[in-house]
Amino acid sequence: MTENRRKGGVRGGDKAVPRRWNHMNKKEKIIEKTDLAIKGRLLFLMVLFLLAVTGLGARLAYLQLVEGGELSAKAASAQNKSVDISPRRGAILDRNGEELAINTAVETVTIDPVGLRRSIAKTSGQSVGLVAENLAGLLGLDADAVQKKIEKESRYEALKKKAERETGEAVRAYAKAAGLGGIDLVEDSKRYYKNNNLAAHVIGMTGDDNQGLSGIEYMMEKYIKGTPGMIKGELDASRAEVPLSDEERVAVQDGQNVVLTIDTTIQFYATQALEKAIADNDVQNGGAAIIMDPRNGDILALVSKPDFNLNDPYASPPGYISETWNGRSQEGADILNRTVWRNKAIMDTYEPGSTFKAITTAAGLDEGVITLESQFRCEPVTGYGPDPIRCWTRVGHGVQDLTHAVYNSCNPAFMRIAQKVSLDRFYQYARNFGFYDKTGILLPGEVKGIFHTTPKEIDMLVASFGQRFTITPIQLITAYAAIANGGNLLKPRLVKELTDANGSVLTRFDTEVVRKVISKDTSDKLRAILEGVVEEGTGRNAYVGGFRVAGKTGTSQTTDADRYIASFCAFAPADNPVVCVLIMLDNPLGDSHMGGAVAAPVAQKLLEDVLTYMEVERLYNERDLKEQMQQVLIPNLKGKTVEEAVKALQDLGFEYKLQSGIADVSRVVAVQMPLADTRVSAKSVVALYADADAERMMVKVPDFNNKTTFEAAETAKRAGLNVRATGSGVAKGQGSEAGAEVEAGSVVDVVFRYTDNIE
Amino acid sequence: MKWNQRLHKFNLRHYDFWIFLCVMMLLAIGLVMIFSSSAPSSVRGKDGDAYSVFRNQLRNTAIGFAGMLVLSFVPYRLWSRLSPLILLGALALLGLVVAPGFADESVDVHRWLYIGSFGFQPSELAKFAMVCFLSASLAKRRERLKYFFKGFLPYFLLIVANVGLLMIEPHLSGSLIIVGVSSLILFTAGAKIRHFFFAGAPLVAGAVVLISVVEKYRYILDRVLAFQNPGLDPLGDDWQIVNSLYAIGSGGLFGRGIGRSMQKFLYIPEPYNDFIFSVMAEELGFIGVASVLILFGVLIWRGFKVSIMAGDLFGSLFALGITSLIAIQALFNIAVVTRTVPVTGVSLPFFSYGGTSMIMFLGEIGILLNISKSAHVDTVLPVNELRAAEITHIGRLRKFVQNDD
Repeated sequence: MTENRRKGGVRGGDKAVPRRWNHMNKKEKIIEKTDLAIKGRLLFLMVLFLLAVTGLGARLAYLQLVEGGELSAKAASAQNKSVDISPRRGAILDRNGEELAINTAVETVTIDPVGLRRSIAKTSGQSVGLVAENLAGLLGLDADAVQKKIEKESRYEALKKKAERETGEAVRAYAKAAGLGGIDLVEDSKRYYKNNNLAAHVIGMTGDDNQGLSGIEYMMEKYIKGTPGMIKGELDASRAEVPLSDEERVAVQDGQNVVLTIDTTIQFYATQALEKAIADNDVQNGGAAIIMDPRNGDILALVSKPDFNLNDPYASPPGYISETWNGRSQEGADILNRTVWRNKAIMDTYEPGSTFKAITTAAGLDEGVITLESQFRCEPVTGYGPDPIRCWTRVGHGVQDLTHAVYNSCNPAFMRIAQKVSLDRFYQYARNFGFYDKTGILLPGEVKGIFHTTPKEIDMLVASFGQRFTITPIQLITAYAAIANGGNLLKPRLVKELTDANGSVLTRFDTEVVRKVISKDTSDKLRAILEGVVEEGTGRNAYVGGFRVAGKTGTSQTTDADRYIASFCAFAPADNPVVCVLIMLDNPLGDSHMGGAVAAPVAQKLLEDVLTYMEVERLYNERDLKEQMQQVLIPNLKGKTVEEAVKALQDLGFEYKLQSGIADVSRVVAVQMPLADTRVSAKSVVALYADADAERMMVKVPDFNNKTTFEAAETAKRAGLNVRATGSGVAKGQGSEAGAEVEAGSVVDVVFRYTDNIE
Repeated sequence: MKWNQRLHKFNLRHYDFWIFLCVMMLLAIGLVMIFSSSAPSSVRGKDGDAYSVFRNQLRNTAIGFAGMLVLSFVPYRLWSRLSPLILLGALALLGLVVAPGFADESVDVHRWLYIGSFGFQPSELAKFAMVCFLSASLAKRRERLKYFFKGFLPYFLLIVANVGLLMIEPHLSGSLIIVGVSSLILFTAGAKIRHFFFAGAPLVAGAVVLISVVEKYRYILDRVLAFQNPGLDPLGDDWQIVNSLYAIGSGGLFGRGIGRSMQKFLYIPEPYNDFIFSVMAEELGFIGVASVLILFGVLIWRGFKVSIMAGDLFGSLFALGITSLIAIQALFNIAVVTRTVPVTGVSLPFFSYGGTSMIMFLGEIGILLNISKSAHVDTVLPVNELRAAEITHIGRLRKFVQNDD
């Protein structure tokens, strides 16, 4: 029913449309026609838009699903960088905590080439070439290379690593002034060695990445270096870490500080002494000096010459033209390795010569085959080889007891001792004293000398006075330390401890006793003998009043003709040694090449400085006191009348010289020469002036050469001068040249040396 | 009609719910993406406030939303009467932006007017003004389009005038959008295809000459060249695009997850602006951006449906104009960031940061909704010469006839 009604309704609707509706329908048709065109165009546009949407959807699907892997890999390579956080490299300190190697802040200059070019394009009057030139100028680089980097298609290029702070500031100022962006400075650190050349071979150099290349820097790398921290995470375009990213963090662990046994002051003394010795004696191949504490094996100083500046290790060594020099080339590095980088103290092998006689004597005494009273005749030993083996001096020493045989360094005596010790035992001592092994000092490149492996009798005889085998300086001083300390061979200790940044000790390196070599008794006897060597034997030039120096000189031949190595090994004080010193000079071409003449005086000055610095009590013996008596202090005469002054001088045994034309002896002394409290030899001359501006009396300096102390003093007095003597023996140098005009009463320094019987 | 009668007439169901829903969803995703993409650079800003960009956008969205609601109640025919005024206003403001002495000579690009601290882009108004005016004018005079000089040319010259003013700024993308939308309205209203060629050919030729000769427009040529030869100019545009592609590619199917974009960390310059879609592609993956595309697709479909079914020709053309305005910009933007077309600075409607465009777009959606109300009638009626009230009446009448007989 309802259906019918509806149908009918609809049908009826069609029929029963009012007039108005019909009219409407008619009009509707016209409009609809035009509207259909619009609708068609609208539909067309809609389809077009929806097609575009679909097209972009396809494009996205392609980018994300097909190329996605490749694109995200590229993106990841730009974003994901693990950033290493460099640990602070541990400092190297001397035994007193003084800094030897530290880190200084430097800056790495980087650019963002894309950003920089954009900035250049924006800034008027700038061009890539101009900016490259300016930057190159500031950084000391090649302009073309800089330009190439600016033109790179990247966001990060390092221009210069480890630029000094000032350079960094200059670059910063330039970028600001020119209005350029894309130039960045990143803080970095660089190794800095406060004392440049001092202890260069011990401390060692570092490379561009702060890695240790030699010395302690190399040996202790794993402790000094620290463990780098790492942030493995995501970076933004400015290379900063992205917040909230999935990151792995490894905490950075700073390097440990290395505390050396080296004492900077002692090292300085040793360097100074060695430098002076090399200059004075025209030493060709440099030398080495080692100072060791025989009580614990501490290396207090270790010098090798020639040396290099740790802050500029690739600089041209002496004798090479700096303009054409390239230390970074293979050739340059070879030369540096041969010369300045070479640590002669542990790398040079040489025949010890007479210094080895102390070892032979020790073996004899320790074996009990000789006593201090044993007598030795200085006569050539025959029967081994075609020629007799002779003493070093043709004069001969006659018959001597052991002590004097050592004083005289008499070769035949030591051959006899060796024979008494016997071949096996002799070489056993050589082995025990460490001549077959490296000492194990914590430095790279230590070598050992060549010692006989299957010795014959003749080998031993020659070896007994230190020839035909080689050792290193460090081996010898270690052996001497054993003699000095009561018989314990110690491992040289160069590193005392490792500390953290706060100075707390992390690892302590204890003294290591390698073995007991000789008895305390042997040590005592030998120390006394060696003290005598310095007091009255070949080592007299090393005598230091009050410090009881014991030692043995050595002069060794080398395989090169006329090339000698002069050495002197000593310790002091003889009764309770606190330092052991070895001086080695390679190829001195001065007046002498003898150890006693060349090396011992170096040791003398050095020991006096070091023992004074170490506050070792100076105990003068009679001889010292007698020598000191000859030294007097000039009294203060100013303010006294001339008459009083002359009286005072005469009472004290001084000569005097008066300003010419002083009639009135009651005038007051205005000027005296030398000044009060100047230390001079007795029988000195004092010049007195009553007028402060009086013309000074001038005298000529006489030639003191080869004069004894007494003769020199007399000569000086006659000339109206004073002598301040150092050393004993004959004059071998003077402070003012002979013939020079100096003021009357001046003090002339004169150096005296023993030249006879010093080997 | 009395107010209670009007109220009685009002029915939410008469509005196109799909449009409203799509816009709401786009806005929701947009706000999340604005925050995600702007936080890294906002944190680096003056105050270190990660929310600074997001907060502005939220405020603008709120203003726009309110505007949308209000405009959805304003009978759209009002705009027909206002259109000449709006066009004159828009042209005046466009002139003002580039007027010598008024524009800031220290910068090369002049697109903003400032009222106090409130910045405003007249080009956004100009787009709307053109849509509004062309729809209104063509609804009355579309017969004239048969003639070139009498009908087509005046409209064409109006477009040229707009483009001229915009290119002084210069504002290439704005010009392209105005040309595009205006052409679509002209085309739909019945303009002859050959007229487009007659008038367009000299214009294009002139533009090419201008682009290659005038230094100011050199960048347009550069961008085209950069597009054709990837890697030729990695200085600016290429860098953006390459990093945009990295971002899109990194997204894969499911994306890195919201907030996990890497490329927004300064690799993409202003990732909350023109390249926000890339960040979205990276964080939400293909699933996410395809959904956004579908939302835009639905919006386009419903927009055209409104246009097709609008109560009169003005409403029809107006709805077309508004829909194409949104569609062209959205598609253009996505095409740019996917390196489908050369780089042009077009923002993504409902997503990109920008107060003027957000408020304008939402206002336009409000108008579209109001037009949709007129098109809710189930039966398609010839409407263009009837008053809206009559349509409603007829619609009801028919329903009544059908249901009650």
